[in-house]
Amino acid sequence: MGDEIGAAPGMGPGLRSLFGAPLLLLLVLAVATVLFVVPLAAVLRLAVFAPGGGVDGFVAAMSSRSVQRALWHSFESSALAAALATVIGGGLGLLIGLGDLRGRGAMSFAILMLMTIPPHVTAIAWMQMTGPSSALLQAFGLAPSPGATNSLYGRDGVIGLLALQQVPIVYLTLRAALRVLPRDLAEAARVNGARPWRVMLRVILPLLRPALLAGFALAFVSALGNFGVPALLGIPGRYVTLPVLMWQRLASSGPSVLADLAVLASLIGGVAALAVWAQMRLTRAYGVALIGLPQQPLQMTLGRARPAIEVGLWLLLALVGVAPFLAMLATALVPTYGVPLTLDSVTLRHFHQVIHAQDVTARAFANSAGLALAAGGIVAVLAVGLGGLLRDRLAPGARCVMLLAELAYAVPGLVISIAFIIAFLKPLPGIGVSLYGTHAIILGAYLAAFLAIALKPVSVAYGALDPALQDAARVSGAGFWRRLARIDVPLVAPAAASGAVLVMLTAWNEVTLSSILWTRGTETLGTVIFNYEDGGYSTLASAMSVISVLVTLALMALLGRVGRSLPPGIIPWRG
Amino acid sequence: MRRILLSTLAVLGLSAAAYAEVGGKLVLYTSQPNEDAQKTVDAFMAANPGVTVEWVRDGTPKIMAKFRAELEAGAPQADLLLIADSVTMEGLAAEGLLMAYPEADISAYEPGIMDPDKAWFATKLITTGIVYNTSAPVKPAAYKDLLAPDVTAAFMMPSPLASGAATIHMVALTGVPDLGWGFYETLAKQGALADGANGGVLKAVAGGEKLYGFLVDFLAIREAAKGAPIQFVFPSEGVSAVSEPVAILSNTTNPDAAKAFVDFLISAPGQQLAADMGYLPAHPAITPPAGFPARDTIRILPFDAAKALADEAANKARFTEMFGG
Repeated sequence: MGDEIGAAPGMGPGLRSLFGAPLLLLLVLAVATVLFVVPLAAVLRLAVFAPGGGVDGFVAAMSSRSVQRALWHSFESSALAAALATVIGGGLGLLIGLGDLRGRGAMSFAILMLMTIPPHVTAIAWMQMTGPSSALLQAFGLAPSPGATNSLYGRDGVIGLLALQQVPIVYLTLRAALRVLPRDLAEAARVNGARPWRVMLRVILPLLRPALLAGFALAFVSALGNFGVPALLGIPGRYVTLPVLMWQRLASSGPSVLADLAVLASLIGGVAALAVWAQMRLTRAYGVALIGLPQQPLQMTLGRARPAIEVGLWLLLALVGVAPFLAMLATALVPTYGVPLTLDSVTLRHFHQVIHAQDVTARAFANSAGLALAAGGIVAVLAVGLGGLLRDRLAPGARCVMLLAELAYAVPGLVISIAFIIAFLKPLPGIGVSLYGTHAIILGAYLAAFLAIALKPVSVAYGALDPALQDAARVSGAGFWRRLARIDVPLVAPAAASGAVLVMLTAWNEVTLSSILWTRGTETLGTVIFNYEDGGYSTLASAMSVISVLVTLALMALLGRVGRSLPPGIIPWRG
Repeated sequence: MRRILLSTLAVLGLSAAAYAEVGGKLVLYTSQPNEDAQKTVDAFMAANPGVTVEWVRDGTPKIMAKFRAELEAGAPQADLLLIADSVTMEGLAAEGLLMAYPEADISAYEPGIMDPDKAWFATKLITTGIVYNTSAPVKPAAYKDLLAPDVTAAFMMPSPLASGAATIHMVALTGVPDLGWGFYETLAKQGALADGANGGVLKAVAGGEKLYGFLVDFLAIREAAKGAPIQFVFPSEGVSAVSEPVAILSNTTNPDAAKAFVDFLISAPGQQLAADMGYLPAHPAITPPAGFPARDTIRILPFDAAKALADEAANKARFTEMFGG
């Protein structure tokens, strides 16, 4: 829009215009080169051209028993978890999106919480809830007998918890589709005497099929890259997925296995890219078919069933959302693992340990907070810049970067971190200093993996801007930077801020990226929790998890407050 | 008596004065459990107030992987290693990554357990045997007892991918003619679990999720003394042993403080500290902690260290193919 005006004499001499959008694009492209092109190219180069790479490398990898098993486990767990999540998330989406339930905002918030609590913490919480030493079950005398393996270890536990983690993704996709579902078709059917069930089966569900498929694909990709759940539940059950296998190899053998890992990374990255491509096609298909006029969302009355459904939903949400965390809190409060929680045994020792006594936890809190703030801030600035270019003639360049960001978000986090190690392990040419072992390499991986998260709300906000403002400013002689600073930035700032908080939440909670990038001094919250649990220090892991969950809830509350003034669709659980 | 006490104090004071000359910062990469690492470092810093020691803890293979990555990045961070086994140390010494400390006083030790080139120094004797939960129906006395299907199904071992002691245990056991790789293959087929390092096995067996396991002696004996429902067994075939050596890295920027750390660990007080924490000390004059049999009754399985070093990658790959991961 406004391209013709861009050529108007009001723009001033051509040289000056070069310092506008082209300069910004140049900056953005430079950042994108460092974040996306260099690391991914380094992986592909190593996978294809290193000795033992190329076709031979792929054949060797595929003929290994453990790689075959891991690939199958990855595929099986992601597909089944995504299917389960589609059924559950879809059902919840239909009930809460269409039914006249009370407290729907609170329900959405509770469902979204499942997604914001990091997978490794969820896994720890569920392990504490169901194991023979469950302090919670012991308090009620319900704990399984000693010798019973935790029923969550292995295939079923991995699939179950992965599904739980993906429910919000499907739920969000479905709610978004319901918001634009043309209600005329459903009304027409109802006027013609169709019963509500028939309307649902014959009209609404067929219209939602693309959204459900897109939700399935998103859940599949997200489950495929998940690390926390299969690492903590899969390894003890001998159900190893490909990201876990890659982590195990790198964590126990060091850089000598990087060439092998590059092959595996390309393999799973390829699967993820394929799934994203399929999901984009589906989204486009339903985007064209279903954009209706802005209207009141469709609603169905549940009648006398309403109280029962409400109670049932809240019980379900309490069971999956609250009980595991009570179990984790109980573990954090007992003197040592295996002792029942009683009034006499309760102790704050582990909280004292993680807050005061151990240096590493203090470092981890500081590192994660600093990295999350930095990542949130930088990503917001990048997103505002990219969005500003979208209306320019240079939009294709910006779109390329956005596509790369989407791709980086979709490929498993472990692929990103392995790519960063491969690209930046060796000292940088020219200055002779390596990024490995610094905060910068973790921050870089965060920016690459999470840029897409902030791009979404910011591009929604840009889309809602009135182009007349830009045109008016342009005609009045305002240059590119002045228009960006005076018109765009103030108007998209709330969306950028909420994008920044979403990124901060993700960075604060992640473990996948830093699990192999951390070194002494750059430990993150996720790695310390994970290493405590992995080393058998469940009480300390639980205490740190409790603190991190409390901080997460505080961040979400902050986000809700920031988001009050935003259009619907930006804050996930509002609108 | 009083005079002896006073002169002892004077000697301690003198040695403290000698230590006090060193200062600055040290970074220690260790595979000791968190608590023990903190105690060791605290005791050293109390004796050497001028030095601050930062430490990072992970299983030996993982901490070595970190070290290797930093080396490749051209920015190694550690001054000292205190890890499970001397095989890894031999490898590092052969690459020239360790700094020899010829002045170190090892006269009190049996010659066989220390490095003749003084590039690394044994600090303890850590054996790996069998642990079981006291509520278990079977009390295993030998490795072969673990092959009963019911026992294997409730059995867990630390993974050689995460634990240095477990790596040596695997090398030693597979070298026993009656056991060999077939023993591990059978365990894997019957559903034995290999996961994490020794801390995880302790947690699983003490918590009752598993009933039998391979475990390092000090963890089992120490926790059993604290009331954990577990029992340690020295199997009839023998135990594997590692010596938890300490070494100074040749890239250290603070060699004097690093040498003081080595001196401290192999000194009588340092060895007493190890015994107080429940380890079998390497120093022959220090009394072993309660719960251990007399040292000469412990039967240690031999293994070929040079071969272990040469076959390390192949052995781990073989193990991974069996147990997954």
